[in-house]
Amino acid sequence: MDASEREQYRTAIHGDREAFEMIIRTHSRTLFAIAYGILQNREEAEDVVQDSLVKAWKMRWRVRDPQKFPAWLSMIARHRAHDVFRKRRLDFNHETIETTNVNTPETSAMDQQLHSALATLPEVHRAALTLRYFEEMDYRTIENTLGLTNGALRGILGRALASLREQLRPALASTD
Amino acid sequence: MAIIHDEIDNWLAADLYGELSDEEQRQFHTHLVECLACRKTHQETKTMNKILEETLTQQKPDPSFEQRMLAGFRNRAPERTGLLKLLANLMRIRVAQVTAVAAVLLGLVQLGRMITGETATPPAARDRYANEQLFEQPSQVAATSEPGRAGALGKADELAAGKLKDLALAPPQSAVETKSTLERDFKALPATVPPAKAAEAEMAAKETGSEGQAMNYATESIPAETPPSALANRKLIRNATVELEIVSFDDAVQKITALANQERGYVATTSSEKQANGKLRGQVIVKVLPENLDRFLQKIRGLGELKNQTLGTEDVTKAYFDTDARLKNARVMEQRLIDMLKTKTGKVSDLLQVEKELARVREEIEKMQGELKYWDSQVQFATVTISLAEKDMEEPAAFLIKERSQLALYAPDVEKIYDDIKALASQKVQITNAQLNRDYSGRVSATMTMLIVPEESDAVITRVKSLGRVENFQTQTERIAQGGSGMSENAKSKRDKVELNITISREEQEQAFQQTSLRIRTSSVDEKAKDLRAVAEKQGGRVRSSTFSRDPNGRELANAWLRVPMKNYPTLMQSLDSLGKVENVTVQRQDRTGTQIDEANAPADISIQVYSQGNIVSHESGPLATLRRTLAQSAGAIMWSLRMIGVAIAFLAPWAIAILAVIWIIRRVARAKR
Repeated sequence: MDASEREQYRTAIHGDREAFEMIIRTHSRTLFAIAYGILQNREEAEDVVQDSLVKAWKMRWRVRDPQKFPAWLSMIARHRAHDVFRKRRLDFNHETIETTNVNTPETSAMDQQLHSALATLPEVHRAALTLRYFEEMDYRTIENTLGLTNGALRGILGRALASLREQLRPALASTD
Repeated sequence: MAIIHDEIDNWLAADLYGELSDEEQRQFHTHLVECLACRKTHQETKTMNKILEETLTQQKPDPSFEQRMLAGFRNRAPERTGLLKLLANLMRIRVAQVTAVAAVLLGLVQLGRMITGETATPPAARDRYANEQLFEQPSQVAATSEPGRAGALGKADELAAGKLKDLALAPPQSAVETKSTLERDFKALPATVPPAKAAEAEMAAKETGSEGQAMNYATESIPAETPPSALANRKLIRNATVELEIVSFDDAVQKITALANQERGYVATTSSEKQANGKLRGQVIVKVLPENLDRFLQKIRGLGELKNQTLGTEDVTKAYFDTDARLKNARVMEQRLIDMLKTKTGKVSDLLQVEKELARVREEIEKMQGELKYWDSQVQFATVTISLAEKDMEEPAAFLIKERSQLALYAPDVEKIYDDIKALASQKVQITNAQLNRDYSGRVSATMTMLIVPEESDAVITRVKSLGRVENFQTQTERIAQGGSGMSENAKSKRDKVELNITISREEQEQAFQQTSLRIRTSSVDEKAKDLRAVAEKQGGRVRSSTFSRDPNGRELANAWLRVPMKNYPTLMQSLDSLGKVENVTVQRQDRTGTQIDEANAPADISIQVYSQGNIVSHESGPLATLRRTLAQSAGAIMWSLRMIGVAIAFLAPWAIAILAVIWIIRRVARAKR
């Protein structure tokens, strides 16, 4: 993190709205990736990002160290996404939402399989995958964003891919 | 290679996401070439990655995502403007937080005070109202034929009415308060006059409607509820004292009179007193209306420098209404007694008894009326006691210059000087104390104290000084302020009589200014000692004591102590050289500081020792005597050596024993090791 970035976080914490809006511009996609990784639903993920940003703005004075601001942001997004996820399970609305995602009949079969395979993965694995595929982040950045220790991501992504591969093996065979 | 195979999943992912270093990439591809299973997995992974990319790319947020987020954020968290923003930011600072908490607490305290009515200063207007309204009560009460009932009723009604009319601020509770006070007072009375109680009950019954309810309420909770307006019914005696320092007393009194007239008051008494230094001090007592008191005090302050001010308020409400109620009872009693006299026909003694009682009750009534009147007058006007003092009150009227001198004289004949000084006594020179002491050793000293009129003092002192040798003379002048303290430009100075203390001592008792001791070697001591005496006398010195001695070896020794005046000292010292060889001269000089010394006449002591060599060879001679002396000396030398050897052994023995012991132990240890 360079000095200008840190200064930006600092002024944002002290209530500089422009700095905070700049942070929204640069970080909202990351937050979206995290939220999507957990929820696998774009609308919900977008709502989560929106909520998290508002909440972050209101609670910004809680952050003492400007350097931890991005990690704190993603934590808020993760917690919020968890809340939504839990609520959804209670409401049994899962199926109806998922069906809205269906676009074309050809891709739907493969997508469906992929989504259900993704759904079986642990949440961290999913978040890591989305960060990788959405934002094309390198390992180091993903680790920082998700608050993982150095080198942990290598195993996580390896296991995630292996698990997906196992589940999608029949489908893969048919596409080949 | 086995490592890659075991962890193929991680390697595959890392390869896919470009996280392998060049070296790792090379190793990985080598393994893929070798291992069929891994190659297959690699293929599958690549296909899956493609699907994942395709699928997830669709789910990626669209380009306008950030704008949406921003718009949503701005919508849901609108920007605070101006003061609110400033406040919100301020609240994040610790100091501001503490201040805010303190402010809230303070606010709560103020709220509490407002609720309980603990206000520090009552509004002046209410006070005035209360005074004006209540002053009129007693006269009305006295005029009515049914005093107990009508008086109480009239008062309550008028109070309530007056309040509604004059002071919209004051709630009706205050009227109720008054009534309840009255009621309490009535209840407190001994039950000697039942009709009064009946009248009181009747009165209470007449007070219907809201007032009646309020009354119940008031009797239930009087102590808890004390609204500020209750002050309106209070009988307050206000007094103030002011202490001022002014330039001119008369001017100030005039101004105070004018101010008092302005405030519709009057000057009650004036008193003044003239000090010795012509300054005036006095007191003015002014009566002003209580509501004008504060303003009056403000104006008064402008007259001069305010030294002190007190403002006191005495609450006589309780006592006033107590007396008021008692007065009403007494009137009822009076009426009953009059009725008794009119109607009853009984024994003359009984009638007399009734008359007696009537007289007593009437006396009581008069006393109480007087008391009430006094209070009314006190309440009606506030008393301001103004103490005035002109500036520089403490300035002294005059100064007295007191001179005190001390003189120490040394003279050969104390008695003569004592008598000479006594002869100086006249009307202008008075000897207050004269004392001549002579102790058993013949030492004589005298002390005298005299008072001299200022004009004569210098002449007399000079005369006394000439009588002897002045050892010490000190003069002390004191300026005493009369009738005040500090400085004054106008005060006159007056010289008081000069006090002179004289101490006369004989010269012998005087300590020498310089002490010299020396030795003179000469062959004929006796002769030279006589010469010495002659030399000393020639120089005005005296031999104070002398000794002469001769020892068995023929040595002669003479000691002499001389005293000469300092001015002759050098000549004497020179002439001593003629007596013989002067040796070992030591001179000790005592420089006395702080005293006036006549150095030329100051005494110098010289102690001289005159001595001769004596015989070196003994009187005993011959070979036998020489042999005996030699033997005795040899024996002495041997004894001395033996003693020294003994001392040496005693000193060295412990060391030798210790060293030997150490050597022995070392040897034993060494042997044991072997």
